Amino acid sequence: MLDLLQAVMDGVLFGATYALIGIGFTLVFGVMHKINMAYAAASIGGAYGGLLILKVMAAPAWVVFLCAFAAGGVLGYAVYVTCFHFIPLSSPLATLMSTVGMLLLIDEIIVHVTAGMPQNYPALFDDVMWRAGEFSLRGDLLLVFGVSVLCMIGLLALLYRTKLGLATRAVSQQAVAAQLCGIRVGRVNAMTFVIAGLLGGIAGALIGASVGMLSPLLTTPLTVKGLIVTVIGGLGSIPGAIIAGLLVGGFENVLQLYRGVAERDLYVMLLLFVFLVFRPGGLFTPRGARD
Amino acid sequence: MDFYFGLVQLVGVHTLLGLSAYIVLLTGQVTLAQAGFFAIGAYVAGMLTVLAGWHLVPALGVSALAGAITACAVGFPALRVKGLMLVIATLAFGEGVRLFFFNFDYQIAKGEIKLGPVGGEGFRQIRFFPENGWSTFEVMLFIWAFVVAIMALLWWFDRSRYGAVLRAVGEDEAAAQSVGINLTAVKVSAMTVGGAIAGIGGGLYAHYTTHIEHSSFNVLVATFAIAYPIVGGLSSVFGTLLAVVFVQALLVEGLRDLGDWRNLLFGALIVLAMNLRPRGFLDPQALGSLKRLFGGDRSA
Repeated sequence: MLDLLQAVMDGVLFGATYALIGIGFTLVFGVMHKINMAYAAASIGGAYGGLLILKVMAAPAWVVFLCAFAAGGVLGYAVYVTCFHFIPLSSPLATLMSTVGMLLLIDEIIVHVTAGMPQNYPALFDDVMWRAGEFSLRGDLLLVFGVSVLCMIGLLALLYRTKLGLATRAVSQQAVAAQLCGIRVGRVNAMTFVIAGLLGGIAGALIGASVGMLSPLLTTPLTVKGLIVTVIGGLGSIPGAIIAGLLVGGFENVLQLYRGVAERDLYVMLLLFVFLVFRPGGLFTPRGARD
Repeated sequence: MDFYFGLVQLVGVHTLLGLSAYIVLLTGQVTLAQAGFFAIGAYVAGMLTVLAGWHLVPALGVSALAGAITACAVGFPALRVKGLMLVIATLAFGEGVRLFFFNFDYQIAKGEIKLGPVGGEGFRQIRFFPENGWSTFEVMLFIWAFVVAIMALLWWFDRSRYGAVLRAVGEDEAAAQSVGINLTAVKVSAMTVGGAIAGIGGGLYAHYTTHIEHSSFNVLVATFAIAYPIVGGLSSVFGTLLAVVFVQALLVEGLRDLGDWRNLLFGALIVLAMNLRPRGFLDPQALGSLKRLFGGDRSA
């Protein structure tokens, strides 16, 4: 019983990173009604980008995180330009395929630059453990959770309190009407990608920090889990992505406790299928979700 | 010469993979599960010929059936939701199949050695072709017999009412539904046919490589499966074939000198191809011009 609670707690704390990745996917989907398959790869790429600063000077961990944040934003913009800017919106297959191409490209670039070797990632508070009786809370996981919550609050503030956020919400509801109101849709789309990229960069950095090392092998499982979180939360719904991320994180950790790492991911897929059969709209189907 | 036969065999198997995705893409659904059905076909056919001693042709029949049944089972829940959910559901399914085979052990001792799939190590010793004395040339012809038959079948579908129904669903679901087409039935049937084709392809793949493991059926293979029809263009079956030849011949042969950089270029090539020709190599305009070129003076 205590093991179960511990597993749930650890899982939920780590699940905050899945929530961030899920938010990134759902943000792009909400605004452009397209899936950006390269997102998780760009997040991991952003995390690697954070490591670049270590080549120049010995920097504390939080500087690395900041660089990962910035690198994620740059990569997000790059994905927008190569995959969405030039391809006409009437060819959804083409945009999907080109994001898949970018996923492969980013993956391969990472493998080439690092020669396939996993890289150590600096962690903060990894030696801090709070004990409360039988439970222990890892300090670094608490940091992960804390930073993720800060990012989510920042995003929600951006979306609901700024003009850019207003424009983004307008474009996601009715792109043509937004254009008629004078909103530059191209710029809003690009900014959406940059914002999602910033979130992704931080998520990648947090994952690297809590796991201890980064490897390009993280890309595929992260893409799959991020997409699962997005679907369970409801495509286009940010609160849904947050809750689904925590749910998947907790669920995954509990199953790892009982069934081991090898079978853990199978059960996450099963969770997805259960949701698809019983609640295809996800936890929170966004208002006005058409088709 | 054997090397080129091997290359043609590879092109044949990948064409089957592409064709299995082609028919589902015609209905406008993007499926990343074809690698999963491919894997199921491979393991089923391999186990039947190695462990049960069957001849390859009935084994391929069973693997086609296995692929079809699994595709039908996956199609029903996944197709009740919007198209983009299908991408995610099929991606998850494909990864799930791979993880299943990662954990799958079934060994039978034959004489001194143990045969059968072993989790992470995979399934070795699928030696139907060498044991029965098939030459590389004969294997190539065998594989291509299936490819030609399936291409002919799909080409015939395209010219029949079924093909029109598939493309109608792909173009505009609301319009198709208003004409009385049962969307779910059409989409699930397309998935089932795609699953059967992938099952046959997987069975052939297992026998020509003689060794399969879970990592041979990863997301990259699923990506190849949809890349071929999308890059080749959905207007014609030959587009897929063209894309397979382009990708495999170019990547394997043409860029051989670039060694490790090949994989990098594959991603970049896809991005470039999609930006320059969003509807594929053989898009409707290209197909129209080709028809005019070869079909003489007929008004467009």
